Amino acid sequence: MSDDLILFHNVSKFYGDVLGVNKVDLRIPPGITSLVGPNGSGKTTLMNLMTGLVHPGNGTISVRGVSPFAPEKLMRILGYATQYDAAPRGVTGFGFVLAGLLLHGYPRAEAERRAALAIETVALTHASSRKIAAYSKGMRQRIRLAQAIAHEPEVLVLDEPLNGLDPLVRAETIALFRDYAARGRHVILSSHVLQEVDVFSDQVILIANGMIVAEGEIRNVRDEINEHPSQFLLHCQEPSRVAALLFEQAEVLAVKIDPEGRGVLVTTRHRDAFAAAVQRIALSGIEIDGVLPMDENVDALYEYLIGGGK
Amino acid sequence: MAVFKRGYQRYDGPLTGPVTRFLAVPRFVWPKLLGQRFVVILLVLSLFWPLMCAGFIYVSNHADLLPSLGSGGDDGIRKMLAIDGKFFAIFMNVQSTFAILLAAIAGPGLIAPDLANNALPLYFARPLSRWTYIGARMMVLFGVLSLVTLIPGLFVFIMQASLASTAWLQANWYLGQGMVLGFLLYIVMVSLIALTCSAYVKWRVVAGALVLAFFFVLAGASQIINQVLRVEWGSLLNPGFAIYTVWCALLGVEPTDDAPGAWDCFTVLLLMLGALLAVLLRKLRPVEVVS
Amino acid sequence: MNQIWIIAKLEIRRAFFSRRALWVYLLALFPAVLFFGHGISVQYRRSEYAGKPVTPAAILDRLPVGTPDTEALATAGQPISDRKWRRRDINRRSMQYFDGSNRVWLEFENGALKSTTRRALNSFEEDSKVYAGVFQFFYLRLAIFFGCLGIFINLFRGEMIDKSLHYWFLAPVRREILLLGKYCAGLIASAVIFGGGALLSFGALLSYQSSADLQNYLQTDALYHGTWYVLSAMLGCVGYGSVFLAAGLLLRNPIIPALVMLLWESINGFLPELLQKFSVLHYLQSICPVAPPLDPNVPPLLRLILAPAAPTSTWAAILGLLALTALVLYAASRTVRRLEINYGTE
Repeated sequence: MSDDLILFHNVSKFYGDVLGVNKVDLRIPPGITSLVGPNGSGKTTLMNLMTGLVHPGNGTISVRGVSPFAPEKLMRILGYATQYDAAPRGVTGFGFVLAGLLLHGYPRAEAERRAALAIETVALTHASSRKIAAYSKGMRQRIRLAQAIAHEPEVLVLDEPLNGLDPLVRAETIALFRDYAARGRHVILSSHVLQEVDVFSDQVILIANGMIVAEGEIRNVRDEINEHPSQFLLHCQEPSRVAALLFEQAEVLAVKIDPEGRGVLVTTRHRDAFAAAVQRIALSGIEIDGVLPMDENVDALYEYLIGGGK
Repeated sequence: MAVFKRGYQRYDGPLTGPVTRFLAVPRFVWPKLLGQRFVVILLVLSLFWPLMCAGFIYVSNHADLLPSLGSGGDDGIRKMLAIDGKFFAIFMNVQSTFAILLAAIAGPGLIAPDLANNALPLYFARPLSRWTYIGARMMVLFGVLSLVTLIPGLFVFIMQASLASTAWLQANWYLGQGMVLGFLLYIVMVSLIALTCSAYVKWRVVAGALVLAFFFVLAGASQIINQVLRVEWGSLLNPGFAIYTVWCALLGVEPTDDAPGAWDCFTVLLLMLGALLAVLLRKLRPVEVVS
Repeated sequence: MNQIWIIAKLEIRRAFFSRRALWVYLLALFPAVLFFGHGISVQYRRSEYAGKPVTPAAILDRLPVGTPDTEALATAGQPISDRKWRRRDINRRSMQYFDGSNRVWLEFENGALKSTTRRALNSFEEDSKVYAGVFQFFYLRLAIFFGCLGIFINLFRGEMIDKSLHYWFLAPVRREILLLGKYCAGLIASAVIFGGGALLSFGALLSYQSSADLQNYLQTDALYHGTWYVLSAMLGCVGYGSVFLAAGLLLRNPIIPALVMLLWESINGFLPELLQKFSVLHYLQSICPVAPPLDPNVPPLLRLILAPAAPTSTWAAILGLLALTALVLYAASRTVRRLEINYGTE
């Protein structure tokens, strides 16, 4: 059902001669989706296209069945915390969130209740009466998040939402994303803190130079890249012996003793065959404590795909 | 060889002298300004009047060729064709309008972005003081405004001097001197107004509007002061009037009866320049201001 | 409508109470301050001249040009003030008399009467013409023009410079509604400020008039004039506001269109009839209740610029202005629909 999806169909966006994104086709299901890419790769452009802040030169976009050209409909189901650090002049944190809710048409009392709740969610109640101009970077980040979630949108779009947050608030914010995703909503975010994205994302979209490089669950994305050999760490007590046995397997490309002494580092192209080989070695009486994929986090994919498959 | 192995070597090439160091700023700004379409359009438009004046000077110096002015000559027409202080006062008045428009377009971008982006500490971290920073920014405007004031003015004067007899030059050299002094004073005034507006509002767009408003609204305000209060001193608040009166004095043109005199105007202009400079210095502080 | 009002309410506070609004208030209140000041000086002059010796007007009128100063002194008696100075090799002398309601200056050159200048202590007729001039040449052309430039450009271009426009675009509001809401906020603020300024200065004009003049005026044209002055100030905000709002949307540097508009409005008087209709000032001048006199000292070229365009009838002018505004707002709404957030270029 397209009403549950965010769809990009052949979307291109150029800023004059500068490429924003090119021929993007995406189907984003509910859950937490991370946009990952280096600076200037087109992450923010994708988010701005999705929210109607910029318009595509080509192609069509649909956010849960709503066009970004209809802000009066789209913004009822969407909240966007942008990367822009500025806030309207002279406004307090509470006033900022309240103004957004009043524009949604909530009666004042209800708007005030929701604003207070949203501010409490981002742990800013103590500073809500202060002007945003006097906020720290992290507090500005949180107040923008509060405004984005205040009307409980179906789609939450967050541009680098974890920047400048302290560990406690960061954990609470991630919990909030998970809660949103668990309720069948979309949480689209971008981040440079790849390990964090890796931990809580349901899926990832890798983007470089305005092109989608890979899309889907991290594991699936990884599987699609057949040319790229996988690396595993075998925790074992007798690394030399295990290494010798592994050398005999045709599907193993390289074996190396882990310099940190944890076991053996194995490079292979065929995961299933490799798994069977490990099973055979274990059954032969050699103790294998565990198998750990070494490049299945986003960092590794990112490095591989964007860095040219080093 | 790895970079770290090369070791740090201090730059020992030639350094720009402390006096001319500030020229580094205009050197980068001028090409940018001259690349702006509207600036180029204004510069081109500003050439028309000097060209017309040059044509007028040619006709004036070849009046005998005109049949109606033969040896008998028509005194009225001869008087009209005379190249005197009045001629240069009108010339300066027209060119000054272009200078205001140029200042409104080129001036606001000189300081406002530095203040809006907290870039002043970057300048002052280098061997540039507040005064040299102001001097550098004024130099930018001096260059651009000279293109529509001093340079065409000198062109017109030199053309007249070369076409007329030596006697004319001997008798009227003060016109050239008055024009240069008048334009210099004018350029300083317009530059300071543009820079102060730019520093005062921080927004380029609003600063441009403020420069225009400074001239137009003050001119209007001075007129209504005169009208409502039935006085003449209101004209002193009009920088355009004040500078024109000083020009007239420098060029030996008779002033308007009852209007404030050249010394009054000059004093007011000095006071205004002082006030503008004070505001400018107050705004140009090498600190980051959180608003 | 509800959304327009919510947007307008959010914006109005900023338009009224921002620090930048101070300049708008100064522009709006300047004529009122001047007329109040003039009122005070008129009161002072009245009390000052109440004790001065009176020389009948008939005596002063009898002095022809060329009369020697000694003879004038003998005929008219001792003046209130007698000033002598020398300028351009001419001995000048100015003797001032008071005929009961006018101050009269006899100006002499080299001992002979050159001219007689008569000025009333206060003339309502003169003041109302001065007011008309101030209203048209300063208030409409400059104060409202630059005031609206400040208020309306701030609505979109200011937000772009502040990098805060996207907050509005992320509200569940049609862009056209957003435009109207912001326009209404600017309009309410500017109309109150400049309409109030016009009313205040009109009040200041009446405040020092003699009771007879005031009574007469109140019974005849006062209400009509006052209403139309305030209305034309407000309509000025309607017209200029729409133009500057659109300029702020369409162009990165709205100063250039502002400059072009200032020139356009100035040369409007000698444009073809059709082109005159595309000027805010043309309609406003048609609505103004009193035509201002032109200063005889104004140079011929400037006189051309100041000459009002062929007037349109009041209601046609209002409709024309509203039609012009609607046209501009329609163009602005088309633009705002396509507007993208790209602060990098600001």
